[in-house]
Amino acid sequence: MGSLKHSWNTSRGLLCALCGLCVLLGSLLAPALARAQDDPAGALFDDGTLHDIRLTISPRDWESLKEHFQDNTRYPADLRWRDVTARGIAIRSRGNGSRSGSKPGLKVDINYYSADQRFLGLKNLILRNNTQDASNMRELLSMKFFRRMQIKSPREAFARLFVNNVYAGLYTIVEDIDKDFLQKNFNENDGYLYEYDFDESTRIPYAFEYLGSDPDKYVPLPFKAQTHETSPRADVIERFIWTVNEAPAASWRQRMDEFLDLNAFMRYLGVENFLAEEDGLTGDYGPNNFFIYRFENRNLFTFVPWDKSNTFWASPDYWIFRNIKDGPENFRNRLVLRALTYDDLRDEYLNTLLTCADSALEDGWLEQEVSTQYDRIRSAALSDTIKPFSNEQFEAAIEDLKTFARNRSDAVRRMVAEERPQP
Amino acid sequence: MKIAKILIVLAAAVMLGSPSAARATIHDQESTPPAPKADKEKTADKEKKAEKEKKPKKEKKAKKKSNVPAPDEGPSATDTDAAPPAPADQLEPESTGTRVTWKQHPSFRIGSAFRMDFQAKFQEDVRDTYVGEPELARTDLHRNRIGVQGRLFKHIEYEVERELTEKELDAGRNPKSPWKDVNVDLTYIKNAQVKIGKFKIPFSLDQLTGVTHNDFVYRSLGANYLAPSRDIGVMVHGSFLKHGLQYWSGVFRHDGDNARSSRIEGGDQTVAARVTGTPFRVMTQGLGEIELGAAFAISQLSDDSFRPNGLRGRTIMTQHMFYEPVYVKGERRRWEADVDWTAGPASARAEYMGVTDDRQQQGIGDDDLPDARARAWYVSGTWLLTGEKKERPVKAAGDFLQGGWGALEVGARYERLWFDSVGGTDLPSRNPRAETILPTADRALTLGVNWTVNRFIKVQINGIREQVEDVERNPVPGGAAFWSRIVRLQFVL
Repeated sequence: MGSLKHSWNTSRGLLCALCGLCVLLGSLLAPALARAQDDPAGALFDDGTLHDIRLTISPRDWESLKEHFQDNTRYPADLRWRDVTARGIAIRSRGNGSRSGSKPGLKVDINYYSADQRFLGLKNLILRNNTQDASNMRELLSMKFFRRMQIKSPREAFARLFVNNVYAGLYTIVEDIDKDFLQKNFNENDGYLYEYDFDESTRIPYAFEYLGSDPDKYVPLPFKAQTHETSPRADVIERFIWTVNEAPAASWRQRMDEFLDLNAFMRYLGVENFLAEEDGLTGDYGPNNFFIYRFENRNLFTFVPWDKSNTFWASPDYWIFRNIKDGPENFRNRLVLRALTYDDLRDEYLNTLLTCADSALEDGWLEQEVSTQYDRIRSAALSDTIKPFSNEQFEAAIEDLKTFARNRSDAVRRMVAEERPQP
Repeated sequence: MKIAKILIVLAAAVMLGSPSAARATIHDQESTPPAPKADKEKTADKEKKAEKEKKPKKEKKAKKKSNVPAPDEGPSATDTDAAPPAPADQLEPESTGTRVTWKQHPSFRIGSAFRMDFQAKFQEDVRDTYVGEPELARTDLHRNRIGVQGRLFKHIEYEVERELTEKELDAGRNPKSPWKDVNVDLTYIKNAQVKIGKFKIPFSLDQLTGVTHNDFVYRSLGANYLAPSRDIGVMVHGSFLKHGLQYWSGVFRHDGDNARSSRIEGGDQTVAARVTGTPFRVMTQGLGEIELGAAFAISQLSDDSFRPNGLRGRTIMTQHMFYEPVYVKGERRRWEADVDWTAGPASARAEYMGVTDDRQQQGIGDDDLPDARARAWYVSGTWLLTGEKKERPVKAAGDFLQGGWGALEVGARYERLWFDSVGGTDLPSRNPRAETILPTADRALTLGVNWTVNRFIKVQINGIREQVEDVERNPVPGGAAFWSRIVRLQFVL
């Protein structure tokens, strides 16, 4: 009897312990589970992992996509990541300068054939081919640095792409800037989103100059509506650009408040130029590679960075006033030029550069990030025989990145100091 | 292909055995006028008869306006089923030498050896549709065609017609040609005439009705998107039993303008045949005329293009693509049946057509897929309020510009065009390599008023209510029905 009672007590104790363990585990896992439910794509954009993305597509379609890589023709395919599959999605060739017939950049339209279809909650994905970046890494590092500096930017992660079970190269998975991105980052998605569309046919830069009162001169080129496509309200852009260029100096700041948080804009510019972006707001080809989003029921715009494959350009000494104080007149960004005439905004810009310098050096963050990602992708990059670079070029590009990461902060501090009057 | 071979053999047999039959038919034509018929061929036949009858009583006939043929009444360059013009010796046997005349059309003639009629057709639209349609031009120079047709000696007829303003002429790798009907018809054997060149593949009553003769501004959806329309080929055609039975049978290079676009290659070698008849002619005397028709066409489909090569579905006026082409390969099979009834001022038409396309090795894994299928039907009716006898084209009893009221006609058409696949076990999808194609359809009601001002001018007013059944592919949010409105001014010379 005593043995039975002892056994019962023991069982009851074990049961209690088990319940306690469950409660403990539950409380530990609940936030993670909630996050996963909130953002099922979070794991896909985990840049601490080299992912495998698998596409199943008609072999003829894959060859056709590569042959007609300049077209935007969509082809049906199935997409798989881990054990998640989306059937009947559409892929197409994408990119401007990065378009390639051998290693095509891909836009993955999850819901093209079925508006309700989602993949980990996403409607679109970009598989960037990095054909303009031998290191494969500038884009991902840049976006990560933007986020580190509290600027909303797309999440990215590296992936090996397999097409019909054949390795098709090392790609970067890029979060598309769409309504899902807006909702996640701005808690709304019904505003007006525009992609700056560099006119590849004319290659004439648009430097935020006022083109006249006709709204059609602003949309769809150079600002291509991504939401409200049939009613893009180009008139608001026209007034924004008019204010940038034509508003009298006495009221400029006040009028600009309606359209732009100028301090936030200078921080954006500071981060971009810390990263030595050669093809951005003050790029060598005129302004390029950004989205603007106008918030719901307001005329206020914000900038979102895009396509940072030309960052870490040239050397750590890339000048922080490149194409601002030098470069062809018609390439210089009018918005940047006018904003920098105000001392407080100029200070905001320079201070941001210093903050970036500190942040990049903090515990060797930037250099460490280069090394970590390099270790992650090295094998995949070396076995990527389709890439337009040799393995030697890849290794050399990584070395350049490391050098940049090591020396950029000091170079920027020096350049900022030279800009500021000595006490 | 077996059917194609049988057809060719049949056509050859008709040609070989034709001389005696031809003589009999000529005799029939001369002794008995052709039965009244509402479309062009009948009109042309009547024209011959009228001209023959007219000669001894020329002055008296000329006063009767309604008997003056309209400019687009003769054998049109757009009508595959149009009969040849009356032989030159029948029309004006007394005329000799070179001269220019203007009866139906401006005409240049050299005795009875050569005749060239000049023609022009202009259709200009003002239109409107649902709010938010950004692409639709509110005014449209819809068709502006010029052409010539005529005869060389007794038995060689020809026509050449060119479109001046049509869209899609220079876009993409496989644009539509601006040349419409460019052909020669050899009429040596009346019931086995041979037509060579570019003309309409004999398929679909509505598609074969002349562009200026339609009861509505736009042809039916099936006629526009499933019927082949024009292509280059050779066709044998003729009639028996005093036009109680007519046939057309031909082989063509591709499968018509409607099956291709700047992005769609279309089908290849096509064999087509059509037969019409009036089997109830005796029984239905006094109840008007009922003509039955049926046709089939078989084409080859390649997947050489990197783009899908299937048929597409678009809305009527806005041409919104509610069904994108799917990948196809193998054979395309079309068939249709139609009925055409005319009685006094009233007319009714109905047509049903279907198309199936093979999809050999078109799956994502290169597997065979179930056939892609498209079907369409319409029923339509018209009534001439001013009492004229229904013909195509309508002849107004009183010319509006000479004190009359012209001819006023009302009409309605209800139709459906839909796409799906024949079977399939997978979940239905819109992707062009889906095993099971997600069905979609466009359902349309057209209400119309036609005012034939005189022999040259017609005004058409149509209201079109459409609804695409797949909500996601409906151009209007929420899948709601939408109205389109159009006024067309037509001038024919």
